[in-house]
Amino acid sequence: MNHQHFNKVMIVGLLVAAFALPLVVRSATYMHILVLLLFYAYLTTSWNIVGGFAGVLPLGHAAFVGIGAYTSTILSLQYGVSPWLGMLVGGVLATIAGVIIGLPTLKMRGAYFALATIAFAEGFRVMVENIDYIGPLKLNGPRGLQIPPLETGLTSFMFATKEPYYYIILVMLLAVMLLTYIISRSKLGYYLIAGGEEPEAAMALGVNVARARLIAMAVSSFLTALAGTFYAQFSLYIHPKSIISLDMSFEIAFIALIGGRGSIIGPLLGAMLLRPVSDFCRIYFGDTLPGMHLIIFGLVLIFVMYYQPRGLQEPLSRMYQRLFTRKTLATTGR
Amino acid sequence: MTMLQVDNMTKEFGGLRAIDSLDLTIKKGMILGLIGPNGAGKSTAFNCIAGSFAPTRGEITFDGTRITGEKPWNLCKMGLARTFQIVKPFASKSVLYNVTVASFATTGSRKIAEEKAVAVLESLNFGDKKDILSGNLTIADRKRLEIAKALATEPKLLLLDEVMAGLRPNEVDEMVDILKALRDRGITIFVIEHIMRAIMALSDRIVVIQFGKKIAEGLPSEIANNEKVIKAYLGEDYVVA
Repeated sequence: MNHQHFNKVMIVGLLVAAFALPLVVRSATYMHILVLLLFYAYLTTSWNIVGGFAGVLPLGHAAFVGIGAYTSTILSLQYGVSPWLGMLVGGVLATIAGVIIGLPTLKMRGAYFALATIAFAEGFRVMVENIDYIGPLKLNGPRGLQIPPLETGLTSFMFATKEPYYYIILVMLLAVMLLTYIISRSKLGYYLIAGGEEPEAAMALGVNVARARLIAMAVSSFLTALAGTFYAQFSLYIHPKSIISLDMSFEIAFIALIGGRGSIIGPLLGAMLLRPVSDFCRIYFGDTLPGMHLIIFGLVLIFVMYYQPRGLQEPLSRMYQRLFTRKTLATTGR
Repeated sequence: MTMLQVDNMTKEFGGLRAIDSLDLTIKKGMILGLIGPNGAGKSTAFNCIAGSFAPTRGEITFDGTRITGEKPWNLCKMGLARTFQIVKPFASKSVLYNVTVASFATTGSRKIAEEKAVAVLESLNFGDKKDILSGNLTIADRKRLEIAKALATEPKLLLLDEVMAGLRPNEVDEMVDILKALRDRGITIFVIEHIMRAIMALSDRIVVIQFGKKIAEGLPSEIANNEKVIKAYLGEDYVVA
């Protein structure tokens, strides 16, 4: 059995395990944690298209989650539009927002871009908190929006149990991981990575760095907004602090940096490591030490950056190759 | 036929005039050398021509098209490629990946781009190192990678900024042969170099600049004996024997 064949078997095995998991996990609490784990893995994979490949560090992606959640919820509550359609509308609005933010900011370097995105996301949250109505659209300010229970089913995007949500977000995650894989092997992926590592050299080789980044930003904001609708339908209650919080933006970046920025598997690995930490901190220290999870994230990040600056995916994929395929890539040059 | 024409180009940074009314002509298929003492403005001239920044005044014409102030990525697609004095590999990626980025300039397909990259690497006797991480290359190989990347964009004109600095003498000879072979393939070359032995052996004509101004132009043998040039390098007090 050659290693490519083995990889395929491995992937199929993991997919079967992922789809069979709800048959084993019967507790609603654990299902809830798993759904959120996949939700964050999805968000981080979407973030990774711009934050990982393009070499910039967006710290305001919660704004796109918010745009997605509010758009589909308002359309559904006030106009009876299906959340599935609202999801797409939210995605388009988020894309427009992403391009508008990206145009002036994506030329900035390092911390300046990160700060600009934080400023945008925080500004957006404060605005939503202080606006009850935009014309006929009811945002309800800081009180947020409650989605009343309808008949459950796929068309209403509302279910009595956690399992359907699990499968929806799992499929969304797999789709966006596949998209990332396709992008990483395309001209756009090469251009993003080249422009992220050495913008000046990339430009001299025909790469319009700013345009490549803008495309990545547009795709990333679109995908991120879809998760917003998912979250709204999952929790049936959204408010600015839950859906447009800096916490969420930071958690995405933590997951990406620890799991491995710019890799396909990194965001999922990061979410698998950090989400349980985050959830158990909330369960056990929620009253006494709120914010404990962010402190732990910080410590883990320092540790990972010190020993594995390219994230956990690197030692893990090396180990995988050594254990299962016996093919070490000649990448060291020694 | 003229490949590159620079007329009256001036570049100022604040009060500093880095390039002062420079005129240059490069004919198709020739190798033009650009030399001058440190800080003479050689790299600045390259940066203006390659679009890294726009000249303050003057006109640049490339293969019959006015390109003054044109963006670097557009120039690359028009057939003007350059290397950097300070090499800039995409360090976390393999040699092949680096060159593939460049060969995407003329195609959208990864398969074609990779095939082209492999062909370029093999033409530079570099094929055996295609899977090495570019960050782990020796300085000589990094310089060669710079040239491979520039070539993979299929240039008509190649601007080479000190691709031989830091090389051992036998590596310099090898590089001179590589560049001559490129010229024989029909690529026009404009080269900045400090290693006199190399530039004398390579260039059809040489331009000398000092303080941003052209002080001499001619055949390598003329430049070697030009009093102004010798003084520029060795100081005003030097008496030509």
